[in-house]
Amino acid sequence: MSDQPTEGAKPAPIVSRHDPRYEVTMYRYVGVDGAHKLDFYRSHGGYEAARKALTEMTPAQVIDEVKASGLRGRGGAGFPTGVKWSFMAPPDGKPRYLVCNADESEPGSFKDRYIMEDDPHQLIEGMIIAAYAMHATSSFLYVRGEYYLGYERTLAAIEEAREAGFLGENILGTDFSFDIVMHRGAGAYICGEETALMNSLEGLRATPRLKPPFPAAAGMYGRPTTINNVTTLTSVVHIINKGAAWFESMGTDDSKGTKLYQISGPVKRTGVYEMPMGASFRELIYDFAGGPTMEPKAFIPGGSSTPMFPWEDRFLDMPMDYGTLAKNGSMLGTGGVIVIPREKCIVNALYNVVRFYSHESCGKCTPCREGVGHWLPRMYQKLLAGQGSLADVELLESVAGNIRGNAFCPLADACIMPVQASLKWFHEEYEYLATNGKSKYAKNDWWQA
Amino acid sequence: MSEPTDITPFFADKQEFVAEVLSRYPDEGRRSAIMPLLWEVQRTELYVSDSRVREIAEIVDTTATEVKGVLSFYSTYHEQPVGKFHVQICSTLSCALAGADEMYDFLVEELGIVHGETSADGHFSLQKVECVGSCGTAPVLQVNDTYYERVGRGRCQHLLDALRQGEMPAPWRERGGDTEGAEKPAALDHTAAPGDRRGEG
Amino acid sequence: MKVRINGLELDFPAGTSAIDAVFAAGNDVPYFCSLPYMSPIGACRMCLARIGAPRKDRDGSWILDEETGEPKIFWFPNLMATCTTQVMEGMVIDTESERVKDAQNGMVEFHLINHPLDCPVCDKGGACELQDRSYEYGNGLSRFEFDKRHTEKHHPLSDLITLDRERCIHCKRCVRFFEEVPGDELLDFIDRANHTYIGTADPGLPNNFSGNIVDVCPVGALLDASSRFRGRNWEYDHIRTTSMDDATGAALIVDARTGRIERITPGLNPDVNKTWIDDGVRFGHEYCDAPGRLTTPLLRRQGELEPVSWEEAAAFIAGRLEGLSGKDVGVVIRADSTLEEGVAAMALAEELGTGQLDHAPRPAASLIAARGSATITDLATADAILVVGDVTEEAGILDLRIKDALKGVTPPTLMAHGVPIADLRLKERMPRRREILTVAAPYRVDLMRHAGSAARYPVGGEAAFFRALSKLANDETATLDADEEAATGLTGEGARALVARLAGAKNGVLVMGGFVLARREAADAARAFAKAAGVNELAVGPMANSYGLELLGVLPSHERYGYKGMLEGAKALIISQLDPAQDEDLKERLRDKELLVVHDIFLTDTARLADVVLPAASVYERDGTVVNLEGRFLPVRAAPVDSGSSTDLTGVVRAIGEALGKRLDGRSVRSARRNLKKRFDLDLAELPDVGTLPRLKRPSPAKVVTQEPAAKSGNVLVVPSMARTEFLSLNPHLSAAVGGPRLRVHPEDAAEHELADGVAVRLKVGGTWRQAVVSVTDAVPKGLMTVPSLPEQPVGLAQADLAGAVVEQPRVEVAS
Repeated sequence: MSDQPTEGAKPAPIVSRHDPRYEVTMYRYVGVDGAHKLDFYRSHGGYEAARKALTEMTPAQVIDEVKASGLRGRGGAGFPTGVKWSFMAPPDGKPRYLVCNADESEPGSFKDRYIMEDDPHQLIEGMIIAAYAMHATSSFLYVRGEYYLGYERTLAAIEEAREAGFLGENILGTDFSFDIVMHRGAGAYICGEETALMNSLEGLRATPRLKPPFPAAAGMYGRPTTINNVTTLTSVVHIINKGAAWFESMGTDDSKGTKLYQISGPVKRTGVYEMPMGASFRELIYDFAGGPTMEPKAFIPGGSSTPMFPWEDRFLDMPMDYGTLAKNGSMLGTGGVIVIPREKCIVNALYNVVRFYSHESCGKCTPCREGVGHWLPRMYQKLLAGQGSLADVELLESVAGNIRGNAFCPLADACIMPVQASLKWFHEEYEYLATNGKSKYAKNDWWQA
Repeated sequence: MSEPTDITPFFADKQEFVAEVLSRYPDEGRRSAIMPLLWEVQRTELYVSDSRVREIAEIVDTTATEVKGVLSFYSTYHEQPVGKFHVQICSTLSCALAGADEMYDFLVEELGIVHGETSADGHFSLQKVECVGSCGTAPVLQVNDTYYERVGRGRCQHLLDALRQGEMPAPWRERGGDTEGAEKPAALDHTAAPGDRRGEG
Repeated sequence: MKVRINGLELDFPAGTSAIDAVFAAGNDVPYFCSLPYMSPIGACRMCLARIGAPRKDRDGSWILDEETGEPKIFWFPNLMATCTTQVMEGMVIDTESERVKDAQNGMVEFHLINHPLDCPVCDKGGACELQDRSYEYGNGLSRFEFDKRHTEKHHPLSDLITLDRERCIHCKRCVRFFEEVPGDELLDFIDRANHTYIGTADPGLPNNFSGNIVDVCPVGALLDASSRFRGRNWEYDHIRTTSMDDATGAALIVDARTGRIERITPGLNPDVNKTWIDDGVRFGHEYCDAPGRLTTPLLRRQGELEPVSWEEAAAFIAGRLEGLSGKDVGVVIRADSTLEEGVAAMALAEELGTGQLDHAPRPAASLIAARGSATITDLATADAILVVGDVTEEAGILDLRIKDALKGVTPPTLMAHGVPIADLRLKERMPRRREILTVAAPYRVDLMRHAGSAARYPVGGEAAFFRALSKLANDETATLDADEEAATGLTGEGARALVARLAGAKNGVLVMGGFVLARREAADAARAFAKAAGVNELAVGPMANSYGLELLGVLPSHERYGYKGMLEGAKALIISQLDPAQDEDLKERLRDKELLVVHDIFLTDTARLADVVLPAASVYERDGTVVNLEGRFLPVRAAPVDSGSSTDLTGVVRAIGEALGKRLDGRSVRSARRNLKKRFDLDLAELPDVGTLPRLKRPSPAKVVTQEPAAKSGNVLVVPSMARTEFLSLNPHLSAAVGGPRLRVHPEDAAEHELADGVAVRLKVGGTWRQAVVSVTDAVPKGLMTVPSLPEQPVGLAQADLAGAVVEQPRVEVAS
């Protein structure tokens, strides 16, 4: 899809990493020794965006810039960030909070961890700018408990930043005072859901809250709060540095900017790849990750909560953006691609996924606690033990249908939609298993030397 | 489990620490201190006993029941002691595709304990955990707070040997992917038909 | 706003929940986690419905449906939980379509997959919301074939409540009850996902209102241990009546079967107790069945009490009375006697021509406020409250209504289907306005934990307390000297803040407990302060009909003819449900009486001295009326309990009257009510269940008072208790839960007198030997002990002979 540039028309958007106009920004220093230190960060232009925002822009201007950039939340929901910031109730002299959601627990996602371990100052700078924009008086950085190295490095970076005057009272000589409190999680995927995260932060059991009230009206301790993902905040740094137009020049109509994609499973080079939104799955999987190392069968586009696609050109060529995925019955999620090889029984793979959600269900609502938590794993176990029948496959479909859309929070759907996708695209594997009492693909030696 | 009634409070000599933790949160948010205080107990004593639950409840001014409700919700707080080396095997999809289930079976065989158990000498405990956020370097083992990545059979044996000696070897950490030093893509190698590609130009 | 439910359009105020709209329209949806008076949480997912609403365009006008020209309905993509959805203008709710029915079916199925098939052995059978909803909304057959979750089935949460964890459907009502109603987070979910279970780390559920969780539980997970396995719900007679255990008049439902009371649960009274009762009321009924209940009259012949008929007993009494001058006879009734019994007592006294008539216990001060009393609703909506005393023990419902006030949410408007099922103003863990509440007592009371400030004034110092506060109330510039500050138990600043808050309140309430009413001086000082600060007062009488009997006028003609006086001076006594012989000195006096008639339910010490003993109906066995502390007339209805030929005082008066050849007023409940109709212009036979608060001509406070209690000082404070101490040993479950009557002793005093925590002691308080269990605690100041009250030993200071205390039994270590 190439536009014929006409006089005065905008240049074609950057939708491929191969585009020579594209530059990696967020992921530049990951993997570089010592990049997590303040000296390194400053010597590479660090905290310039914060300085610019705090001394040359008003909070409203910062929000406008982020709105204009088209940045959408990178935690999975994809809500327009600038708009989200503008939902914050007007300042009333009482506390207001920015919360960074670093509870990255979606299977297939690991980008936030790399940022926190190798480039934490970028996150801190993003938080400063975001807090300034929404008049936040304080912030929490909720990091999942398992990310201990990330916690240590980010905590050290916060201390460095404070000593250098980027955090604390009157930052950079302005009247904006702000600091970051790190809070460690303790192993619960549901804490990635923003209202459950707030409950966890408040020292309650981490079950999700009712909305309304929305966090921007009443969040942490009942005060206006905005929760943003790690890479949403790091994106803000570059938006301020290089301008909304720069960010907006990348990506598709509904998905702007540059994003960290992840890829795991049997491909040559697993890992994180920063790419403009709109790049295709094919580009990520083949051009950069070196292609599959085993014959592939399916891929999960954006973390285990997102419905899978069979390994077909029409899907591999999809641009990795929010709209396209949604139109095709899935979601971009966190952009964590997982490649599923032919030799992996789909039913077995889905059992793994279902088991994940059954462990992570918070237990609050009945369809998730009983359906996802108890019934679904057992149905899969029965099939995989060779004791299931076609009637059991039908029952699975029926029960999954009863759960879909009826639970308190999206976790149940995050389990069910992949289940339903697997049934849609690979029904014959379920049937084979049910009829023959064994998987069509029985490989069970995956562990390499 | 019954406990002696006369126990030295855990936080008796950690008042500065407690004060610092409480200072992170506003007064009306005292309960937020529960998790950091639980972690401190967990880290030191390898589990959180009922008396520590009561202590924490008093510090944050809530009931012991509430603290217990929080403690029991999470996968990394334990109500029974874990081992000196708490081995956690990531078992979710990407790691399963890299052999996590087999690695688990191997560890069960080697250590003589299963998920949720601690060895009799308190040296090892085993837990199958869900995605630890290192899918690109699967399979991954977490021992206490440290990630060991791309743990193939060889590395796993090496790790076990070291742990048995009471040492944690230097972690294997890789970034792979898009990082400096990682093998950069040379030619465009894929198997799609020509003309299918986007973004060229 | 206009809402259409299954085609029917109705109007609702903003803030109404969709589920209440559905029920108001005469439809229904199933629900488990919602409950009237508690926060809606949307957890069970049973109440799902298909909901749509119109949307406005940018210019503020409705987006119209092109075909119909009506506002277009945008349906929410998913089914919505109606309990947590607020109605909007033009909202359309569908609960009847296939999609909704399928979802309801599916949700029932999920609830049942792990639920054990215990119905045949489960106490909840027949009254179980899960059974009912499964029948109404479920499929009939289960498709689940796997192993159910197995966990503990008889976990004793406390001596009163048993938990079957397998039956729990995780509705969270019990957890929310504790946080939202008494404000004590004693239960929570433990663990996560499908392993979640209900548990506690606060053993024994130390809270006076724990029994209510048995009612809120929709299934048989939480069960009343005292009535477990006793009967089937459909076998019980459910008698709606009023609690006679304290002055609040909570609504009750008494479940009786084959002539015994099996269980007590709360009734609904939105203006009094809502749907809650305290544990003393709930579990304090077992004594009615205890062996030793008197079932026939007894007459002393040859020194021994022998069973006789009512006629014989009455004839004997009439005979003796003829030989006496009427004015030498004293008639005294217990303060929880009904109004009808009060009429009977007055009629008898009048017939005998005696002014020696009284009810006991009766505080020194009048309960009837000259300026009118606050109502319980006033208290629940107050913006400043001062409580003096231990209201949690004395009148438990007031504790809960005060906690309502702390939330700042007014009582819900009743809808067509009653109390709203999902009041969206209620949220989990709402912030509390603690600053509006001050609790004052001479020792630490539980309610102080919830108050913004606590005033521990010196024991016996109620009058000084109020005089100091009045000084500030009457003069904004005044300051307190050191003595006055000490008298308030607050700092000077704190006292000033308290007074300012009360004086500035739109609806301030002063709750005066028994300590204040025990001395006229204190009550007068309190009332003067209330007037100066412009707050309403609420006086807590000692018993269920204290207010009513004072209002009716069951009072002596002169101070010296009151209860204390008649015990000394009368030659003949007719005593109903009091036991003065507990006091060793009085016991001697009673032996000398020419006629002693005792009307009671057990053979008490006094009854053992009597010439005639008449079997009494217990509080659950009477038809009548009581008046609570607000002045609300409430109906009392008899449960079908088998207690022989026992009767209330109207029966006694009928029998005596007949023997005297007279038809006395109050010879029956009906005749008493004719009298009461003339008096109060109320038809008491037609009283609604929730009672009525009539506008009576302001009654003037009784001019007669008792003699002041002798003790102005003492080493023990007799304090209120939710469990009626005189029956505690006959209420085994309640007794186990509260651990017996507690003698609270300061640690230093305990050490000095070698009293260890938990030992059972007997010690003489005043003239009465008291049994108690020592509780060593710093809740009391050094030098002061507390012991719970008896009808014969009402709240106030007394002297205990510590030196003569007898240790009954060393502490028994109970294996936990």
